[in-house]
Amino acid sequence: MQTSDLIRILPEIILAVAGIVVMLLGAFQKQNAGRMHPAIALLGLLGAAGAIAYQYPWRSLDPAFGGMLELDAFSAFFHILFFLVAALVVLSSSEYVAQERLASGEYHALLLFATMGMGLMASSNDLIMIFIGLEISSLASYILVGFRRGVATSSESSLKYFLLGSFATAFLLYGIALMFGATGATNLTEIHLALQAEQNTVTAMASPQLTPLVGPVPTALVGLSIALLFVGFAFKVSAVPFQIWTPDVYQGAPTPVTAFLSTGSKAAAFAVFLRVFMVALEGSAQDWVWLLWVSGLLSMVLGNLAALLQTNIKRMLAYSSIAHAGYILVAFTAHSEEGVAAVMFYLAAYALMNIGAFAVVSHFGNRGERYVEMEHYAGLGYRAPLLAASMTVFLLSLIGIPLTGGFFGKFYIFRAALHADLVWLTVLGVLNSAIAAYYYLRVIVFMYMHPAAEQIPVERVRPAMGFVLIFSMAATFLLGIFPQAVLDFASQAAALLLENLGNGVL
Amino acid sequence: MYQALFFLFAASAVGFAINLLIQRHPIHSALSLIGVMGSLASLYLMLGAEFLAVVQVIVYAGAVMVLFVFVIMLLNADKEEPSDRSKMAKYLGLPLLFLLLAMITVVIYRQFPEDAMVQFGDFPGQTAAIGRLLFRDFLLPFEVISILILIAIIGAIVLAKKEP
Amino acid sequence: MTWIHDHILTVVLFIPLAGAILIMFLPKENKNGVRWAANLTAFLGFLVSVPLFFWFDSSVGEFQFVEKVEWIPSIGANYSLGLDGISLLLVLLTTILGFIAILSSWTSINERLKEYYVFLLLLQTGMLGVFMTLDFFLFYVFWEVMLVPMYFLIGIWGGARKLYAAIKFFLYTLVGSVLMLLGILALYFINRSQTGVATFDIVALQNLNIPVNLQLWIFFAFFVAFAIKVPMFPFHTWLPDAHVEAPTAGSVILAGVLLKMGTYGFVRFSLPMLPDASSHPMVVNLMITLSLIAIIYGGLVSLMQKDWKKLVAYSSVSHMGFITLGIFTLNPNGLSGGILQQINHGISTGALFLIVGIIYERRHTREISEFGGLSNVMPVYATMFLIVAMSSLGLPTLNGFIGEFVILQGAFEENWVWAALAVTGIILAAAYLLWLYQRTMFGPLDNPKNKNLKDLNFREMMTLVPLIILAFWIGLYPKPFFRILEQPVQKIMERVRPAYYAAHPDAFGAPARLNAAAQPSASLETEAAAVRSAEKRAGASR
Repeated sequence: MQTSDLIRILPEIILAVAGIVVMLLGAFQKQNAGRMHPAIALLGLLGAAGAIAYQYPWRSLDPAFGGMLELDAFSAFFHILFFLVAALVVLSSSEYVAQERLASGEYHALLLFATMGMGLMASSNDLIMIFIGLEISSLASYILVGFRRGVATSSESSLKYFLLGSFATAFLLYGIALMFGATGATNLTEIHLALQAEQNTVTAMASPQLTPLVGPVPTALVGLSIALLFVGFAFKVSAVPFQIWTPDVYQGAPTPVTAFLSTGSKAAAFAVFLRVFMVALEGSAQDWVWLLWVSGLLSMVLGNLAALLQTNIKRMLAYSSIAHAGYILVAFTAHSEEGVAAVMFYLAAYALMNIGAFAVVSHFGNRGERYVEMEHYAGLGYRAPLLAASMTVFLLSLIGIPLTGGFFGKFYIFRAALHADLVWLTVLGVLNSAIAAYYYLRVIVFMYMHPAAEQIPVERVRPAMGFVLIFSMAATFLLGIFPQAVLDFASQAAALLLENLGNGVL
Repeated sequence: MYQALFFLFAASAVGFAINLLIQRHPIHSALSLIGVMGSLASLYLMLGAEFLAVVQVIVYAGAVMVLFVFVIMLLNADKEEPSDRSKMAKYLGLPLLFLLLAMITVVIYRQFPEDAMVQFGDFPGQTAAIGRLLFRDFLLPFEVISILILIAIIGAIVLAKKEP
Repeated sequence: MTWIHDHILTVVLFIPLAGAILIMFLPKENKNGVRWAANLTAFLGFLVSVPLFFWFDSSVGEFQFVEKVEWIPSIGANYSLGLDGISLLLVLLTTILGFIAILSSWTSINERLKEYYVFLLLLQTGMLGVFMTLDFFLFYVFWEVMLVPMYFLIGIWGGARKLYAAIKFFLYTLVGSVLMLLGILALYFINRSQTGVATFDIVALQNLNIPVNLQLWIFFAFFVAFAIKVPMFPFHTWLPDAHVEAPTAGSVILAGVLLKMGTYGFVRFSLPMLPDASSHPMVVNLMITLSLIAIIYGGLVSLMQKDWKKLVAYSSVSHMGFITLGIFTLNPNGLSGGILQQINHGISTGALFLIVGIIYERRHTREISEFGGLSNVMPVYATMFLIVAMSSLGLPTLNGFIGEFVILQGAFEENWVWAALAVTGIILAAAYLLWLYQRTMFGPLDNPKNKNLKDLNFREMMTLVPLIILAFWIGLYPKPFFRILEQPVQKIMERVRPAYYAAHPDAFGAPARLNAAAQPSASLETEAAAVRSAEKRAGASR
């Protein structure tokens, strides 16, 4: 271990320290601790972002910790995204935490730890490390989901998430074990090389009795391992048929946590999904592309159809998040540089618009999340014009109307897919995105075209929440009108991620 | 002999695991879990991973399970009421589970020749080697796991503490 | 002056947007202030667009007033604007109808005034962008963005079933346009593989050589989008709902401009970019058949309407059928007639919707049976309605006649059956419009509610007069309009039927050199063209 290694994980160290400080604060300072927590959390996130920026340019090829971590442009992109998401969630949840009397210190500490886990996921280049990062972020999420202890649905969803999540993790772990058995490596680059050379690296240390294992990589075992890894990741990104948990968990969790899960956790899961499949397993793409094809299509169709039937807005957004996972899988199926860039861009755009939408839901939900049914939104457009206008922008972006980030995200996705000759998947994808318009429009219809049925109190928007709304709106428009900078970042990162492989550089 | 031992411990691990699920009383389930742990430890031992085997016994079968049993006794947990089982789990879940198991078995069975056999001492599983791996190659995961444990502790406290 | 000359399109495009942003900051309570701001903006937008007509050089075939700025270089999308004859006429139609629509809402809209004008002005920018842009990607952006303000206009200020109509309008159009996006992407990739340049430039994409099979696929991707917008026969069901529920200004814009985006799409994209697919006998027969069905079906359904506005809405289906018929005759007459008829339809139907809106504002009903003998109390109104109805049904000396006549000429040139069937549409139009006129304007004034109706005020007159002047102008002296269309039509013909002008050197838009002396290869091309048109006729009569 050298200093350079420490600098590589400096963002994670800062986050961990900030998390511990937030947690300990409650022990030493009883008064005003609730106000300090968000501030410290934001400082930690800022510091972590600074640590990422410090390492610019993120293209050096020397991996940290003997190949465990790879802080390339790809991981920097996701780090920045996670920090942004976490910061927005912290800001948007300040009133929620106070209003619901959540344990503020633990809440912020867990958020920071989860972000740290996600950061590790994005930069890990080793299956072991990926697994640990995934566990850190998942475990923190399980707890965050159950944070509204007085509410039965919250506890229920936490338990459900925990059980199903552990189950999925077991699949993932089994997949990792089999992959190790087949290739003798857990490092993604080494796995890539082993698969490319079709030589099991375990032979190097094998004793004479192992001679039957020496030699070519057992392909059927690799296939099985790919399938199991796919199960694990598909669960995390909530792709069909591993999406069952999503609606219940998203509905039961505290709204800011739902925002965090549907953006940050999803992006982190896609980051490892991409890295594992594109770096380690690109060579056996023919084995997994059809899995993604089917799963992507099913996610879009089922997600959208189920969302059509929802009346609860959180549940509707949960199903829509399944559909969005489907769109992302469409780009993933292209398994090209363009596809990777499209996934990255889409995740960024999706994160911003979804956080915005959930911020509105969270603010409007009021104490105890009483107002989360669509009919509660009736007439909101005239009683809280700014709230409704920002919600409209986010929903239009989720539909994919031009001049919003959502449109460009979809555009890049379908462009990448069409370029990879996935004509039918693309056609079905765009038709799905048109169907999806219906349920997003329904919210707009309620907000602007229905008279208010009952007097629902709308709290004044506090500065922190106002900042989140304005920031997300501005970012959504920015990504829709001038997407060049983010797109360049994403394409460079994707190019770098794949370029090293072509040359077989470790 | 070696093969016979393997099958003995493997079968007992699976048997205890099934028993764990079937038992109605928590204490019986906990005891079955100890059986699972013990069988696994024996399997590790047979592979030459003596350190792992010992850790398995000390940490899991010893510390963790003792806590389990204590908690169950403190809570004075009684027999569980059988609840309505999901029909979907029965008619769809179980067959799918067996299908998955069969598939994995077939793949692994096909992949390896029958006489391939790992024996005690085939792998460098000595304690020193593990220590070297843990603190050199896998230093980062080893250290980072501490955060994982911290999160678990926080979770336990947050979810269990009394409302103020 | 040179600055404005170089950037006139940007100025015309963004004046409504600037006005919309300005209005957003006006206080809500100051209703008249908002009204004035909106009307002045729209009028300014119209004034600024007038020089286009004079600065435009109709002898030049290339796009004029071109502006080009890099937008998203990595995908090759540019902010590029430009006009040729076709888009010039449509831009002018948009600016004038936009102003009239805003002027017509002065008293009819009283709630949520600010939002209303903001949406109308945003819509205006979107529509202008669609007609002006030379970048296919930017085109798509405008095409889609425009949905949003129109959706709100129908959904908030609409009639009884506004929600249903708004969502139906939105979803129909969205489904069509997402498929179009795939078509655009396909062209983009084909161009990239052929030339190595990633661009959405419309001019570049108009010069591709694509295998017919692929062309047909892309054609149908476009077809869905454009046919829904036009709307062509099986896709027309959203139109009556949207029209009936939309506020008057919305209907005027919808009929006058939005529908033209579909036909504009055919003329600008389908024909020149996919010439082999567009002239494929299967496609031609399909399009002509659908057009004829729309003409006759639209006319018949109009005859049976009891709702004044619905009648006008269905008459739109019939008239738009004429336009698509003209376009897909694929000869200069049909094309120029079809393009000009877009303008005519915008003028006549826009005016008809204004007429309906004026009476609806007074009586809050559109049931035809509620009216009768209105000419007694509203003589000016009745006169203007008569002129507008005549223009719509194609009376000589008025604009509708010119367009329909030229279209029929083009249709006759290809197949007399087409022309014969289309003529029934004109007869039906005469029937339903005159019958409507008779039921509402003549007869006894027996409904007491109608006895005290006021005739048009000055503002209302000013919404109709410009349109009537235009109707007479096109009807009496259409030459400048045809001159403007000559070059664009020639370019399209050269793509779709390259041999046509060699065979018909006297046809509309024929290059001058052909008239002077036949080219050496002309005779060969003539033969080819003769064989081709013979085949076409055989295909059609089958």
